[in-house]
Amino acid sequence: MTSQQPIQDRVQVKRDIRKIKNLPTVPGIVAKISRMVENPETSASEVGRLISQDQVLSAKVLRMANSAFFGMSRKISSISQALVILGFEVVKGLVLTSSVFDMIQKSMAGLWEHSIGCAAASGAVATILGRADAEEILVAGLLHDLGKVVLALNLPDEMRLVVDKVQSGKVLFYEAEHQVLDFDHSELGQWLAEHWNLPDSLAEPMRLHHRPEKAVIKPECAAIVHIADVIVRAKGFGNAGDPLVPPISMAAWEMLGLRKTDFLPILEILEPKLSSLVDITSIN
Amino acid sequence: MKRIPIDKAQPGQILAEKLTRHDGVLLASQGAEITEGLLRMLARMNVDTVVIEEEESRTAEEVVEDFNRFTADLDSRFVRVEGQPILMALKKTMLFLAEKERDETLALISLPSDAETESAAAEAPPDSSSAPADKT
Repeated sequence: MTSQQPIQDRVQVKRDIRKIKNLPTVPGIVAKISRMVENPETSASEVGRLISQDQVLSAKVLRMANSAFFGMSRKISSISQALVILGFEVVKGLVLTSSVFDMIQKSMAGLWEHSIGCAAASGAVATILGRADAEEILVAGLLHDLGKVVLALNLPDEMRLVVDKVQSGKVLFYEAEHQVLDFDHSELGQWLAEHWNLPDSLAEPMRLHHRPEKAVIKPECAAIVHIADVIVRAKGFGNAGDPLVPPISMAAWEMLGLRKTDFLPILEILEPKLSSLVDITSIN
Repeated sequence: MKRIPIDKAQPGQILAEKLTRHDGVLLASQGAEITEGLLRMLARMNVDTVVIEEEESRTAEEVVEDFNRFTADLDSRFVRVEGQPILMALKKTMLFLAEKERDETLALISLPSDAETESAAAEAPPDSSSAPADKT
């Protein structure tokens, strides 16, 4: 599909991904929680106390815990309650999301909406599949595009070239990234995930949401985030960098055992969530 | 219904969901009209959003126009995957839902109502959450 590019487009922007300096630093609180959770002696209330020390952060986390994402029938009123009901991994993901919220918002208009949309769609697909870990998969959907944040914040010139490419034709964002750079945001995401010591359950979908068939640690999770990404782009909710529905991975589709008729219940779950999630974008 | 931030709420709008304080105490019940006083109280209570009944302010022509715009947008988004049967099923499902919504909205608009008058918004609305319309 890609036609010959004019030489001047192929400026010397291709460079070694490892040479990118100044990766966003891992939010201090996330690093602390990670260390605490690694210790099997740590109790939920200790982690709860740590998060609660930061009132702004805990307010944001509680707001997300009580949003349409999880559809809780009872209000979660404290971090320790959130830890019990949603689990360590989910709360950690929400803390991480709250801490990188500003970064996501600054990086690219509409990326935050795309992220929450993909999270809600991941949750909807996981629910239709009857998965017990729907909340964790939802958090993976929330953070799947963090690599784009790194691209926008650390490689602004390259980002501009990628955006130009996308606008010049029916080019997907990751295809444009490959044309401009030698890598795409999924590799940047993986690199960030390693740098931040994120759990594999979050790192893998970050790296493989465009190639879910390559996943080995939690292949269903990467597959669900992949399909959720397609669905939320089809909805035209938020901005993932291009206005196109990307091809779906047949391997992911078949692995999950989804049927075409599943789209209706998935969309019926998703629709009301999207409209009420718009308000958590004003989380600050 | 629609969830809106508290600073967008206007007196006269109707609550589509009951309002509770963060600790669960009831502040206003479903169907209540938003007043200046209620807004002041909500600001004090740190309530950030309310869910209001949406009034249909579009004309039938505008509803059809919106639908047509939606299908054109849908076509342009799916342009790269027209041959993929699974994604065509997704597109068909989205079209089905949009057609359903269009028809339900058109049915509501054609119902005899005094929606034209200013006072309509202030009256308690019929239960709009149940069935689209009993008039066929």
